[in-house]
Amino acid sequence: MSSLRILVSFKVTPDFEALREADWLAGAAAGATHGVETRYVRRVLNCFDESALELALRLSEARAERGVATDLGALSVGGRHTEPYLKTLLALGYERAARVEPEAALDFAPAVTAALIAGYVRQVAHSDLVLLGCRSGPGDSGTVPFLLAEALAWPCLTQVIEVEPLPDDRVRVACLADDGLLRVTLRLPCVLAVGNAVVSQLRVPTLTDRLARRDKRIAVLSGADMGVDIAGKLSREPCVLTGLEAIDRSRAGVIVGGATPREKARALFDSHLKGAIEKL
Amino acid sequence: MRFAAILDGTLGAAAQQARALDGFLREGVSGDLAGETLVFYHDERDKKQLVELAPTRAVRLIKTTARRPQRMVEILVRVARDQKSPLFLFAGGPAGTELATRLACRTNGAVLTEALSLEVGPQRLLCRKNVYSNHMVGRLELSARPWCVSIDASWSDGRSPISLEHDVLSDSDETNGTGTTPFEDIELVDLPATGDLAEGRFLVVAGYGAGNRDRVERIAAAARRMGAAFGVTRPVAMNAWAPMDRLIGVSGARSAPELCIVVGVSGAPALYWGIEKAAFIVAIDPDEHAPIVSNADAAVIDDGLAVIEELAEIIAAARGRD
Repeated sequence: MSSLRILVSFKVTPDFEALREADWLAGAAAGATHGVETRYVRRVLNCFDESALELALRLSEARAERGVATDLGALSVGGRHTEPYLKTLLALGYERAARVEPEAALDFAPAVTAALIAGYVRQVAHSDLVLLGCRSGPGDSGTVPFLLAEALAWPCLTQVIEVEPLPDDRVRVACLADDGLLRVTLRLPCVLAVGNAVVSQLRVPTLTDRLARRDKRIAVLSGADMGVDIAGKLSREPCVLTGLEAIDRSRAGVIVGGATPREKARALFDSHLKGAIEKL
Repeated sequence: MRFAAILDGTLGAAAQQARALDGFLREGVSGDLAGETLVFYHDERDKKQLVELAPTRAVRLIKTTARRPQRMVEILVRVARDQKSPLFLFAGGPAGTELATRLACRTNGAVLTEALSLEVGPQRLLCRKNVYSNHMVGRLELSARPWCVSIDASWSDGRSPISLEHDVLSDSDETNGTGTTPFEDIELVDLPATGDLAEGRFLVVAGYGAGNRDRVERIAAAARRMGAAFGVTRPVAMNAWAPMDRLIGVSGARSAPELCIVVGVSGAPALYWGIEKAAFIVAIDPDEHAPIVSNADAAVIDDGLAVIEELAEIIAAARGRD
């Protein structure tokens, strides 16, 4: 078996759960141009991308046990805030780490993001397999994996939950399809969009790992390096965000009193649940 | 304006797709629309039932090979060119997202996924969809045609089967020229039954605030005792405190029970999407400022496990489950 070139593309997003209700309301009032103020919120790895990053490490290890090499690379279309994550990935054994400076907000421009990833695959990574999360905020379109597959003229499987190597550079993939759990053997190249994988957390590198690989550099690239005119492509984007609406999910929120859990459970049942339970 | 609704009958979830498309066409679209359903099938025996599911009177049948999305896209590209339908509607879910996206790419059109509603204008399509992980609704405008739109999964909620007369306009066999596939040794495995989550009338959901696996299992036991279905939030499933197939929310099941009790759930919108159609929501949480408290009909501020175990005893007795 030859060395398999795997690229994982990931996104670092604001932690939306850390925003206050007032921030969402202010975002709606500010309109689509300014969107929601998220600069002060901590950043997190998009959860599906995190699974993809760990699945790729495990795939690489499984291949190593068979005595075959894997070339692992990581890419993020994002600003400097992605660099601590790229450093971590280098410490974990990713051979190459790169980011493409987005030059503009690409949150609602999946076609631009996909074009940049495709440019990197074609011009730099020459990957056999690309893994990425099946969706990410704020746009939540879920289209980037398919746009990437179209740009590369590759097949794509989505909602992937497991990937295992086969002896001949093919991979066996499990994914959650609309009608059940699908297991498929796949000839490469292919895009795999990772969904609700049980493998959900990226391992943490040791200090020794970090020190051993501290000299590895992160490549910082531009749209032009990828052959993509970001501003021009953005101006031709056929789907444009024009407004934001806050969502009112409020209900009565009546707080049931009582001194102990037992008293509260009884009060809840008597005042709110009895009728509903009888009808079940 | 003309549209084409796509019903992928090569997959096992055709009835759900049809219900969602029907609901969306009735209530999710504003503007003057007329259209037909393109029904993909691969087994002659399914044809009659698939036609009955179609959400429009006019139906075109297309026989193709199962699980060849790229081939289906090639056929749709031809349809887009020949019939000049400006709007293609797909059911939600991974298959619909793939077809909508690839079709838009190959026709220089525009794609929008998981639409909540559409407003059709002569040159523009205005859409609403959840963004920011369901914290907000975004208004988006699509310009380039064809507009390739998949609809939000919530449109299949509580819909009755479709009852329409149908005219089959054509039945074409597109199984030739399928070409090679990169997919081999395909095996479809039934997933553990999760119908209790989607269709149950009484649901208990445990969140990360439950604390640990042991406490989540005790909440699950309390749910069983009460005769309720049991679901969990994504952080609980991700920590392997409960199986992944118990997941409620954007990446799991969507439920519309009469009664939903959530324990240790913060109220993240991605979870709330899965329970928002519940007739009555009870939150049990030690934090009275947790967003879920104001998004519930009633709340108990206390340790979730202690209260749910007491409640299980009361409800089990009331339901004669002792």
